[in-house]
Amino acid sequence: MHTKSFASLVLFIAFSLLIAACAVPQTGAPAQSEQPAEPAPAEPVSIEVYYPVAVDAPIAKILEGYVADFEAENPDISVKPVFSGGYTDVKTTIQTTVEGGGTPPALAVMLATDLYDLINGDYIIPLDDYVSGMSDGQAYLDSFVPAFLANSRFDSQIWSIPFQRSDVVLYYNKDLFAEAGLEAPNSWAAWGESGQKLTQRDGDEVTRWGIEYPSGWPYWLFQPLAIGSGQNIVGDKSTEIYFDYPDVIEAVQFYNDLSQEYGAMPAGVQGIWGQAPSDFASGQAAMIVHSSGSLAGILNQADFEVGVMAVPGQEEGTYATVPGGGNLYVLKGVSQAKQDAAWKFIQFLTQPEYVADFSTQTGYIASREPAYETQTMQDYITEVSQYADMRDAVQYAGAELSVQNLGEVRNIFHNYLQAAFNGEMSPEEAMAQAQKESEEALEPFK
Amino acid sequence: MTVPLTTRRRRVSLFPYLLILPTLVFVVVFTAWPTLRALYMSFFRQRLNIARFREPSFIGLENYVDLFTSNDFQQVLVNTVLYVIGTVPISIVLAFSFALLVNRQLRGIGLIRLAFFYPTVLPMVSAATIWMFFFTPNYGLFNSALRFLGYNGPQNWTANPDLALLSLIVVATWKNAGFYMIFYLAGLQNLPDNVFEAAALDGASWWQQLWHVTLPLLRRTTLFISTVAFIDAFRTVDHIFVLTSGGPSNGSTVLLFWLWQMRFEFLDVGRASAITIILIAFLLIFTVTNFNLSADQEGAHAA
Repeated sequence: MHTKSFASLVLFIAFSLLIAACAVPQTGAPAQSEQPAEPAPAEPVSIEVYYPVAVDAPIAKILEGYVADFEAENPDISVKPVFSGGYTDVKTTIQTTVEGGGTPPALAVMLATDLYDLINGDYIIPLDDYVSGMSDGQAYLDSFVPAFLANSRFDSQIWSIPFQRSDVVLYYNKDLFAEAGLEAPNSWAAWGESGQKLTQRDGDEVTRWGIEYPSGWPYWLFQPLAIGSGQNIVGDKSTEIYFDYPDVIEAVQFYNDLSQEYGAMPAGVQGIWGQAPSDFASGQAAMIVHSSGSLAGILNQADFEVGVMAVPGQEEGTYATVPGGGNLYVLKGVSQAKQDAAWKFIQFLTQPEYVADFSTQTGYIASREPAYETQTMQDYITEVSQYADMRDAVQYAGAELSVQNLGEVRNIFHNYLQAAFNGEMSPEEAMAQAQKESEEALEPFK
Repeated sequence: MTVPLTTRRRRVSLFPYLLILPTLVFVVVFTAWPTLRALYMSFFRQRLNIARFREPSFIGLENYVDLFTSNDFQQVLVNTVLYVIGTVPISIVLAFSFALLVNRQLRGIGLIRLAFFYPTVLPMVSAATIWMFFFTPNYGLFNSALRFLGYNGPQNWTANPDLALLSLIVVATWKNAGFYMIFYLAGLQNLPDNVFEAAALDGASWWQQLWHVTLPLLRRTTLFISTVAFIDAFRTVDHIFVLTSGGPSNGSTVLLFWLWQMRFEFLDVGRASAITIILIAFLLIFTVTNFNLSADQEGAHAA
């Protein structure tokens, strides 16, 4: 009797495990058929928002504050923000959820450049109907800083709304520049020369670099060099790339020149993304190229006057930058009611007051023009003058690398760019090879 | 009389299977099924970022052919072999040396054992972050030490094509040697004293005792550790994300990291499945060979 009841217990446990395990893949089918149905506006809706934390700011706390405000205004909607790691983790979580047959969140913050992968994977919905449903839809879209909206359009549709955006800037130590009698650089040559003058050596040992230029994951910080040289690496079409254009090759050569010709920068690939801002703030580097998102951290640490500007271009008086960061996406595979609620929350978050508040609290650049007219923002700019420089840099922005098959193309570009930086290949050879292999990778998408 | 006997016999034969059923269910659901599914999917083209290839279509061995003819994959295989050769033997030798070192009664031996074991307790991401500061150009620990010794260091470690993979090997070895040490230590403490007394009486030197007595007696431990170390070398990628992102120019990309990229960055399910199968084949071949070799030696020893 004893043995028998034990055996049946084991059997029971085993079977419940079996059933539980089998239940996971079986939920696959309903998730898709769930899509349209249930309009019901009066019914209470609850939505999830997946978001990453990619900067040194209490994003979770800030978002929860906004959610509380939103729920007070919309008692029938409850929003649950879910912290999901970095950008890659958010995307991976959503992909695996959808492929495993689960229900994705209604709203997510993902990289602006993920656009094509998200459309091709059928993960997101276009937002045009929502925009045209607004009383002033076109004006709403037009009020976004154009560079930040550039990665939202495909096939003449709008797929995402800019949220936490940044750009590439050159940070320079104004005190050191003044000491050496130098002006902020306004061309490649002036930049190289000031870097050279500000590099300090003690025998063989460098005690201060003129420039630090992280290139461990290089396409983003490299793009301003290409744009400043006269040719961005990416075109308007989703399969257009220009890696082997002479201006791009010149840009690669200029990166190498900064160390080889000017001796102003460490040679080769610099795997120092995390370290560069503190090197700059502690005076170990006179200039760094980095994300505008690092401004707050740098200002906290630096005991000198920090200068911020767009990256100098090749010709005198030209500058360049490239935007970065994340947009808000509404996902497929959730009910219409939830998608509607997600759109409502997007509109709420992009009100000028909230955009201004988010920007001043996190260091991201406000993505809507009206935000700059708010009192919050005006006060902030008076207090932190660099913020205005950071924002002004956006006018020199070219499009961030976003193409079909982005993961593979980016990997190819990184490989050959780093090979050129490390002197394993000449810039011409490397970029020609990068172009050839990327064209092959893009072939199925044409 | 016969009736109860058969019932008993039946119960006896069913009961052990019931006991392993939960484990069996887990192995089937989480190991066997995914493996079979990966094998199946590896014969299909499925690319999640191309609408017309989103539904799987049978392409036979094309994924494997593509992989083995691709330069990237060949480089990844070479990197993986170098990484395994770099981490497995060295961490085993280190583990054994550490175990010999701390297998004695001394004051404060607990602290020394803790020091060796400590890296094991750290999550790999924390360990890699600590090492990132050691590898830092200019003022990092390694470069400062080299400068103190009069060299102007290589400066660049994790972004240097010649040193990136080595940096990863160093971190993994540091992290794992202490873990394997624990097994050797347990093994050493279980060895019978009389064998060593006999060896000492026969006039065997310390080195002879180590080579002819200790090591053969610890063969099973070595088998266990080498299997675990080998699997771990294929399994751990956390430090790659922190230190090198697989770069520069894929120079520190190993098989599992490439699999992750193929699946979640390139969104190529077919090829990712093929890589999974290649990975499993590697592990199976090694484990089986390792067990067979060891069994042969054991047989030879007994004879």
